[in-house]
Amino acid sequence: MPAEKALQLDDVVFRFLEKGKRNVLDHVSLEIEAGGITVLMGGSGCGKSTLAAVAAGLYPENGGFMESGEIRLFGQPLKGMNQQQRAALLTLMFQNPDLQFCMDTLRKEMRFCMENLCVPPEQMDEKLTRAGAHLGVAEMLDRSLHTLSGGEKQKAALACLYVMESRCILLDESFANIDRSAARGILELLVRFKQEGRTVIAIDHRADLWLDAADEIVILGEGGRVKACGIRRENLAEYRQTFEENGLFYPQAPVRLYPPRPAGEAMLCFRGVNIRRGRPAGKKRGDRKEEEPLLLRQADAQFPRGSMTAVLGPSGCGKTTTFLAVLKQHPYTGSIQLNGRELNRMRPGDLYRQVGIVFQNPANQFITQNVEEEIRASLRVWERQLSEEKREQRVSQLLESYQLTRCRRYSPYMLSQGQQRRLAVLSVLAGGQKLLLLDEPTYGQDDRSSRAIMLQLRRKIEEEGLTVIFITHDRALAAVWADRVYELSGQKLVERNPGELCP
Amino acid sequence: MKLERWNPSVKAGTILVSVILLSFQYLVSLNLTVFVLSLLLLLFCSQARPRQIAAILIPAAVAAAGLFVTGLYYSRGGSITDVQMDSLSAVPYAVRAAMSRNLYTASQLATRLLAYAGLGILFALSTDGEYFISSLMHQCRLSPKFAYGVLAAFHLLPGMIREFRSVRTAFAVRGIRAGALSIRPIFTMLVNSVRWSESVAMAMESKGFCGEAPRSYYTVPRVRWTDWAGSILCIGAIAAGMLLFRY
Repeated sequence: MPAEKALQLDDVVFRFLEKGKRNVLDHVSLEIEAGGITVLMGGSGCGKSTLAAVAAGLYPENGGFMESGEIRLFGQPLKGMNQQQRAALLTLMFQNPDLQFCMDTLRKEMRFCMENLCVPPEQMDEKLTRAGAHLGVAEMLDRSLHTLSGGEKQKAALACLYVMESRCILLDESFANIDRSAARGILELLVRFKQEGRTVIAIDHRADLWLDAADEIVILGEGGRVKACGIRRENLAEYRQTFEENGLFYPQAPVRLYPPRPAGEAMLCFRGVNIRRGRPAGKKRGDRKEEEPLLLRQADAQFPRGSMTAVLGPSGCGKTTTFLAVLKQHPYTGSIQLNGRELNRMRPGDLYRQVGIVFQNPANQFITQNVEEEIRASLRVWERQLSEEKREQRVSQLLESYQLTRCRRYSPYMLSQGQQRRLAVLSVLAGGQKLLLLDEPTYGQDDRSSRAIMLQLRRKIEEEGLTVIFITHDRALAAVWADRVYELSGQKLVERNPGELCP
Repeated sequence: MKLERWNPSVKAGTILVSVILLSFQYLVSLNLTVFVLSLLLLLFCSQARPRQIAAILIPAAVAAAGLFVTGLYYSRGGSITDVQMDSLSAVPYAVRAAMSRNLYTASQLATRLLAYAGLGILFALSTDGEYFISSLMHQCRLSPKFAYGVLAAFHLLPGMIREFRSVRTAFAVRGIRAGALSIRPIFTMLVNSVRWSESVAMAMESKGFCGEAPRSYYTVPRVRWTDWAGSILCIGAIAAGMLLFRY
C-alpha cells in the first residue's frame, strides 16, 4: 500500500483578483506524505504563504479566486468541508505571533479551540493539563497573552494546535520573528508531534534550523511551483545552485563580504546608562515607575562613526527600548552623547536632523499614501530651503538610487516587505541624517531581500560615511555585516568579536 | 449573594426594566433611594473598588449638577429670563421666586440622572465582559460569530495601543508633529488594524471556528431561581417605591 498523503495539490491555479493577470499559484502540484516533517522553502513573493492559506481552505473563502485544481487532505477533497472538519485534519500556525489569538489567556484560548471541535467539556481540563505538562507551557496558562514574548506566544499557539489534535500542522514562517533558541525549543516540540504520528509541514525561507529534523525539503519557485524535492541533509550539496537561484540562503558558515572597518571616534556614546522597562516618557504613572525592572544597568558602549554596529540579544530584552531612549522617546539616566553633545541638552528637532530610525514594521512610519509623496514630505520637513524644482529632482534621484522608481505612484502599503523597508530607509535619510537606527532590518524577509538592504547600507557607509546601528536576534546577520557587535546580556552591553559569533 | 454571580443577561434585563420604570416617575426620593442603594450594593456585594466607582461618578455628578442648574433657571415653572427686569430692586426677589418654583423640577432632573448613573455602574462594575457575552450567547441566542468577534477585537486593543504609540514615535522622529487628535497616526493605525482583524479572523477559522457548526462549551452560564428572585425583588421594589413615595 502506498504511503498516505497528508496534503495533495493538483494543478492549483489561484489569484487574488478574478480578472487579474498574475496567478499567485500557477499550476501547482504537490504531494506531501503523512507522518513526517516536510519543509517548503521559497523566496519572498513566491506564493508560499498563499499556498498555506489555500491548503487550509482559508482562501478562496476569504478572498481570491481559484481557477482550477483540486486539494485533498488525507485523501478527502477539501472542497465542501466546513472549518470544523478542515481543522480536524489540518491547522495553521501563523507568522505573526500577535495575531493568532482571540482570547486573553492561553487557557481560554485552548478551551476555545476545543469547543470549536466539539470536545466534550468534561474532557477539556484533562487535555489542557496534559498539554501544559507535555509542552512545558503550564506556567503561562493564565498569564495575559499580550505580555508573553514572541517565542512564548508561538509556543502558546502550538499548544492550541496540540489540544486540537488535528492530524497535520502547517507552519507559515512561524520562526521568522523569534530568536534562535526559542525556535529550537519549538522545533523540539514539533519532533514530538511527529513521534505521535502527526504530520508537520513548515514553510520557511531558512533551511539550517530544519536540517536535522526534516524528512524532506521542497524548494518552491515562481508561482509556487515545485523546483526540487526530496532534499535531505545528505544530498544537500547537490542542490546548492537551486537554493541560490531562488534567492534562498544555502546553509553554510557565514561569509563576510566586507572586512570590518577599524573603529574610529565614537558618534554615539553611552556612559553609565540605566533604562527601565515601562511607558515612554510623558506617560509614566509616577508611583509605578520605580517597580519597573531595569533593562540596562550602568551600561557603557561606543558606536563608532562611519561603521555598522550590531546590538544582539533575545527578543524582549530591551533592545528596542534602548533605541527609543536614544531618540528621547523613553526615559533614561546616565549620559548618552551624540557627537560629544549630551542628548538631554538637545532639542528633539535638532536630534532628529541627525538621527533616523526604521522600525520593525516599516508600515508604521509612512505618513502619506504614495511612494513619491513620502520622500517629498521628508524633504519638505528637513530641507525647507529647497526650491520646488530642485526638490522634484532630488525625489527622482533618490527613488532611482533605491530602485523604487517603478513603483513611485503606488501606495506604500502595497509594496513588498523588502521594498517597504527600503522606502522607510530612504525617507528617514532624506534629510541627510548621519546616524541610522534599524530595528530588526531582516524582519519578515528572505535572504535575497535582506542582503539587498544590508548591501545598500554598506555602500552608504563606504561612500557617504553613514553610521548604522541595527538590532537583531540573528547572530549570523551580525557576524556577516557588523563591524562591531554588542550583546545585551545581564543588563549590560557586552562587546563581542564579530568573527566569533557563529561557531 | 455576590452581584458578579447574578446572571448577566437577567441582570441587564432587570436594569433595563428598572430604568424604563424610573423614566415614568418624577419622585426625587425614589431616585435618590435607587442611587444610594446601587452604591451600597456595589460597595458591599461586589468586588468593585471604591476608586473605580468614584472615577465614573465624578463625571455623572458634574452632569447632574449641570442639569440641576439648567432646571433651576430655565424650566416650565417660569424661566428667570421671563422675570420683569425693569426695577433693579425687584430682581433678587423675582429670581428667588422663580428659583423656589423651579427647585423641585431641577432636583427631579438631577436625581433622575443620578439614579440612571447608579444603575448603570451597578451593572458595568459588577459584570465580567466575557461572562456577559457568553451569557448573551446562551440566554439570548447571540450568534457565536458575533460574540467571539467582539471578544477578539477587545483582546486586540492592547496591541493597538502599543502600535499607536510606535506610530506616533515614528512620526515624531520623522519631524512630523502630530497632536493628540491628529488624523494621520490614526489612519496608519487603522490601516494596520484592518489587516490585523483579517489575520485574526483567519487564525480563528483555521482553529476550526465557524459560525454555523455546533460547538461544545466549557461553561454554560445558567439562570437559577435566585437570578429571577433578585430581578423580581429589584423591579418590585421600584414599583412599590413608585406607589408609596410621595415626593
